[in-house]
Amino acid sequence: MTVDKQAPASGSIMVVGGGISGLTTALEAAEVGYEVFLVEKNPYLGGRVAQLNQYFPKLCPPTCGLEINFRRIKDNPNIKVFTLAEVEKVDGSAGNYEVSVKLNPRYVNAACTCCGECAKVCETEVPNDFNFGMDRIKGAALPHEMAFPARYVLSPRIIGTEDARKCKEACKYDAIELDMEAKTITLNVGSVVWATGWEPYDANRIDNLGFGRYQNIITNMMMERLAAPNGPTGGKILRPSDDHAPQSIAFVQCAGSRDENHLPYCSYICCMASLKQATYIRALYPDAKIYIFYIDLRAPGQRYEKFYNKIKEDENVFFIKGKVAEVSEDPESKNITVVAENAVTGEKIHQTVDLAVLATGMQPTAANVRLPADLKYTEDGFIINDFEKGGMFGAGCANKPADVVSSNQNATGMALKAIQTIAKR
Amino acid sequence: MTERYMVEPDVGFINEVIGLGGQDLKKCYQCATCAVACPISPDNKPFPRKEMIAASWGLKDKLVGNADIWLCHNCGDCSTLCPRGAKPGDVLAAVRSYAIQEYARPKKLADMINNPKKLPVLMAIPVVLFLVIGLMAKLFGLHWLDITPNGDSIVHAKFIHSTLVDVVMIPTFFFSIGVFALGLRRFMADIHKDALICGKTDKEKIDPKGFVEALVKVIPTVLQHKKFTECGENAERATSHMMVFFGFLGLFIVTNIFFVVMYGFGIHGPYSQLNPVKWLGNIAGVSLIIGAALMIKDRITKDDQVSAYKDWFIVVLALALGLTGMLTQMTRIGGAACMSYSIYLLHLICIWTFFISLPFSKFAHIIYRTVAMAYMEYSGRK
Repeated sequence: MTVDKQAPASGSIMVVGGGISGLTTALEAAEVGYEVFLVEKNPYLGGRVAQLNQYFPKLCPPTCGLEINFRRIKDNPNIKVFTLAEVEKVDGSAGNYEVSVKLNPRYVNAACTCCGECAKVCETEVPNDFNFGMDRIKGAALPHEMAFPARYVLSPRIIGTEDARKCKEACKYDAIELDMEAKTITLNVGSVVWATGWEPYDANRIDNLGFGRYQNIITNMMMERLAAPNGPTGGKILRPSDDHAPQSIAFVQCAGSRDENHLPYCSYICCMASLKQATYIRALYPDAKIYIFYIDLRAPGQRYEKFYNKIKEDENVFFIKGKVAEVSEDPESKNITVVAENAVTGEKIHQTVDLAVLATGMQPTAANVRLPADLKYTEDGFIINDFEKGGMFGAGCANKPADVVSSNQNATGMALKAIQTIAKR
Repeated sequence: MTERYMVEPDVGFINEVIGLGGQDLKKCYQCATCAVACPISPDNKPFPRKEMIAASWGLKDKLVGNADIWLCHNCGDCSTLCPRGAKPGDVLAAVRSYAIQEYARPKKLADMINNPKKLPVLMAIPVVLFLVIGLMAKLFGLHWLDITPNGDSIVHAKFIHSTLVDVVMIPTFFFSIGVFALGLRRFMADIHKDALICGKTDKEKIDPKGFVEALVKVIPTVLQHKKFTECGENAERATSHMMVFFGFLGLFIVTNIFFVVMYGFGIHGPYSQLNPVKWLGNIAGVSLIIGAALMIKDRITKDDQVSAYKDWFIVVLALALGLTGMLTQMTRIGGAACMSYSIYLLHLICIWTFFISLPFSKFAHIIYRTVAMAYMEYSGRK
């Protein structure tokens, strides 16, 4: 152990990212008595999990899990949550970091009761990123139904407009502060856990799969939003071109995954996600035909395999071993034809469906923009944990593609690593 | 599946395919993207996914006598979309190269033509033939060879007499035709057998009349390079290939006219530059040179495509044929005697090498691919 590692250390832990992994790390550390700063760039906590309709394999909604975590945060004075916050710079070394955090203005203070009067008077609508742009929301809105903190947020787009003034006037609680400004604060912490999560791989980049060109080709994450009761269609899965209920759906597995031209690795969850989404369709439209085109179906572990076997029994779900490499659209009906070779029979299949879902993989957030800290990454942007050096750790999907269970296990481990960094002083 | 199939991997075959330019074949994980990406692959038993697994398992019998490897025009669409960089296009090219050597007999000659180390020996053969036959002819009072040609004007026939050239070239050409004929007989039987096993055809036997009709049907496709232009990834290759193809065709026609006129009417060359036959010859020559040069440039600049000796051999030989032919003419007109005679000899060496390598090198694709396309047409596969 080197001498400078024994420099006086701060007893606090910073967790960057308020998704399921970040929540877990923050809570595990805080509940054994450590002070934790939880930094989240969105105006709400919950991350990607909050966007799901159901978890696999139990098929419970994300409120199951997120709610209890929010409750634990509320009850725990050790956790300080910063939303709309981004880490700008990390200086120092293990045990002694100085972190600059930029706090973006929410324009709404803690007095907000979620009465919704501001949204009623606001006329401007902005694309809803939470629903992947499939609908629009008011310039003053609650990010989503179960947003935590439960507080409205004003879009920067309406600031300085007539709309903003109307919103302020409509608020009975003086909760809207239009003069809020971005500010940067400095926090001293002993260790930093990066739970910066993932982005769905940009399907527009997969030229041969037609996303962005044909309306009725969506991604698996868009399917989650369509199936979610708080989604753009209120939980009805409707195809984008005409809002009709699809009677046939194709799932295109490994869309841009395990592919040198895109993401060279397997994202671990997409096979299970598509099997799960087959159950969404089955529940809504019992007669719909579901075609799953795959290279190999990966359902790791006994529980996932059981789930897969259950779906296999469904006579309306067809599994075709062969990757879809070509798609086309019928200009009249807007139906999609996917083309694959069935590698078992050696016949090319041209399957026309109402809706096609691209099972795209996860790309670590750091793949596109590196994090403002001295970290090591794999070629694909996943954080490589250097336990020798210590101090900063990647958790959850920032570290490797994983499902919720594995992310939580990993995040718990990283909470311990963060604690060890501090306890070593 | 009730039918049992005993897999007999031929490791030597795998390594040969790897050596012939298929070095990435083992990266394939059978996703079948290639079979869909290919714009000319049929719906029934499409290629090249099944060829990729056969190659990595060393199943030689499923590849060498498989007509599908010849339906591929190596456009590279499959290799571009391949998620693993296994380059199916290059693997099929390597398998074709292997198949050519399988059908071409004698094996010794096939080895010589496909081994860069033996190229000097190969090219020395025509020189030796000219010398030996030329000197033997002298014994009978025939002045076919004069290694110190003199005179006011350059006449190539004074150096190596047209008859001597023909005595060497014509039997070589017909030897190659014979090699093709024997190879084709086995090839046809093999591809038909393979098609029956794989369910690619419903025809029990090859009916000669029907097959010839199919052949006649595909000739326009071949001439217009229709399959070539269906390919997306490197459609510009069709242009250079067409230039080389029609260059050869034009020169073949000119040579035949020249032959008939010389032996039939006793009129010797060189023809006047105003003669339409000369025009055809020159246009064809220029087309050959430009086309071959474009192909070489394409191979040099494309670093994602594998280029093996078999590939360089035919493009460089095509360019050399064109260049030496054109330069022989130019130096003759320019009056550079010594240079002209030397280049003429080089030109003859190139021609002989071209003739002898036809059934043994990549040049053989003109026959096998045409036959495979005709068979596809005949078999009624969709």
